Amino acid sequence: MKRILAAFAGTVAALVLLFSYRTSLGDAVATLPGSAAHVASGAQSGAAPTTAGTEPPPRAGTPAPSASATVVNGATEQTPYGPLQVQVTLAGGRITQVTVLQHPDAARRSQEINAFALPQLRSETLSAQSAGIDAVSGATYTTEGYQASLQSALDAVHHAA
Amino acid sequence: MSMTTAALAAPSAATRLRMRRRRSWVSALALTLAGGTLALLVISWLANGGIAAIGAPGGAALTFGRLTGLVAADLLLMQVLLMARIPPLERAWGQATLTRTHRLVGMASFWLMLAHIVLIVAGYTQAGTLSLPGQIWDLVTTYPGMLLAVAGTLALIAVVGSSLRAARRRLRYESWHLIHLYAYLGVGLVLPHQLWTGADFLAAPGMTLFWWSVWSAAAGAIVLFRLALPLGRSLLHRLVVESVTREASGVQSVVLRGSRMARLRPAPGQYFQWRFLTGPGWTRSHPYSVSAVPGRDRMRITMSTEGDEGSRLTRLRPGTRVLIEGPYGSLTADRRMHRDVLLLAAGLGVTPLRSLAEHIAAEGGSARHPRPSVIMLHRISRPQEALFTAEWQALAGLHGIDARALVGPRGPGSSWMPAAIGNPARYLRATVPGLPERDVFLCGPQDWMRRARTTLLALGVSRRAIHRESFGV
Repeated sequence: MKRILAAFAGTVAALVLLFSYRTSLGDAVATLPGSAAHVASGAQSGAAPTTAGTEPPPRAGTPAPSASATVVNGATEQTPYGPLQVQVTLAGGRITQVTVLQHPDAARRSQEINAFALPQLRSETLSAQSAGIDAVSGATYTTEGYQASLQSALDAVHHAA
Repeated sequence: MSMTTAALAAPSAATRLRMRRRRSWVSALALTLAGGTLALLVISWLANGGIAAIGAPGGAALTFGRLTGLVAADLLLMQVLLMARIPPLERAWGQATLTRTHRLVGMASFWLMLAHIVLIVAGYTQAGTLSLPGQIWDLVTTYPGMLLAVAGTLALIAVVGSSLRAARRRLRYESWHLIHLYAYLGVGLVLPHQLWTGADFLAAPGMTLFWWSVWSAAAGAIVLFRLALPLGRSLLHRLVVESVTREASGVQSVVLRGSRMARLRPAPGQYFQWRFLTGPGWTRSHPYSVSAVPGRDRMRITMSTEGDEGSRLTRLRPGTRVLIEGPYGSLTADRRMHRDVLLLAAGLGVTPLRSLAEHIAAEGGSARHPRPSVIMLHRISRPQEALFTAEWQALAGLHGIDARALVGPRGPGSSWMPAAIGNPARYLRATVPGLPERDVFLCGPQDWMRRARTTLLALGVSRRAIHRESFGV
């Protein structure tokens, strides 16, 4: 009986310690701050410069006319690993630029996935000229979030036109 | 007090057939459900990238890491359900089969879990920029729920390690059982990372529903059938020790009295887990078969007083309160294929067969339903180990039970009978008329039952007519 009580007390103490750690309540510990900038580094001139994470993301669906192009933000899509939002630049009815305003980056793995998946999705979008693009293998949730956000941006442009 | 009162009427042949059909129906349903969950997992894995994800950096390791993790999680819950004492499942498969399957499914889950860990670490390392130790550290310390998952994994490793045959032999049952309780903790601690870090759990509403259903089924079954039901029964029947009798050297019988016992109705041949509230040591439970039902409100159990707990058990006094879990066990008359039976026991394995013999022998007795023939062979090493001798004599006169003690040290080679008997097969052929048309009930050490079974199969007894119970885990 004494042994059982000791085991029980030890177990409870271990559990309290375990649950006092941050990740034990569902949070991730961010490891590489500022990696979003790395993903958006493919931005070309003409797109509004944005830095994800440091300021509140712009509202979706309000086309902002600029000198030569229309810049529109897609809806913020929730993936299982965090929110994802894109910004599209159109000129003469063509998609000329896609910028990722925010993407899941709490866990290192999310950053790694987005580092290879987002550039691939961007170049696919530019050649397909629509949200009907192939999924990037190994990045199912990123692809789904990206497609949905992109589609909402394109829909907003059509409504405005 | 007479020990020869059968409490229940034995089931007729038609009832036995109906019960057999119901058992195979439950069995088929359980297997279909289990197979269905695995199929569903593979389909959802395929739909979420599955094979296609192989192309990504570290993709092969990661995608199969996910699959092994999902299947391991499913099997982990199944092996909990197998041990949840779900009544229809207990009746359909019997506890021996359930325990064996639990071990098999648990081990499969464990190895898949280890594969999951290795594959995920390998995949993350291939896909990322960190060194292997750095990657492991990163996985454990920064991903949601992962520290808990590591703790859960350690608990499961302790459980499996203590259950390996070599370790199990060296551990006391109580120590092993205490460690085994950490399996519940392990299962609970690995859940959060499945929800927070493994997206497949919550990928689609259907999958979310599926996982929460399996999880709540496992948790609910444990709470209901392993805690609430036994506690409720213990409170309802309020069993107390009525008398303690010495049966033989190192063996005693305990008669228990309870209230509303008609609602408990253990089938002869079944057993309970008993906790005697004697003060220190009361937490330890022991499986003892009901060896007789002496009257409406009573049960008699027979136990060895030679083990670790022997001295505590000999101190049982009239009035000691008793907690029960059960009745369990499938060594019952309704599982028979035939009318006639051969009962084979080694040592204390005779206890469930004692009440079963009386129960079966009391069946029939009319012109259309003749009395079953009951032959009881009790294997013991020394004459003083004989049990219930006077009762067997009374039962021989009352019901025509043919009970014999086979006494002596074990025969040469793989023999499971005393040396004096000679060849077991030849002995059975000479002693037991119409053996292939009988059901055989076996109770004794695992190894002894295995060897007996081999002989019986060779003598033409069908596999389905052999019924076994063992209390080893």
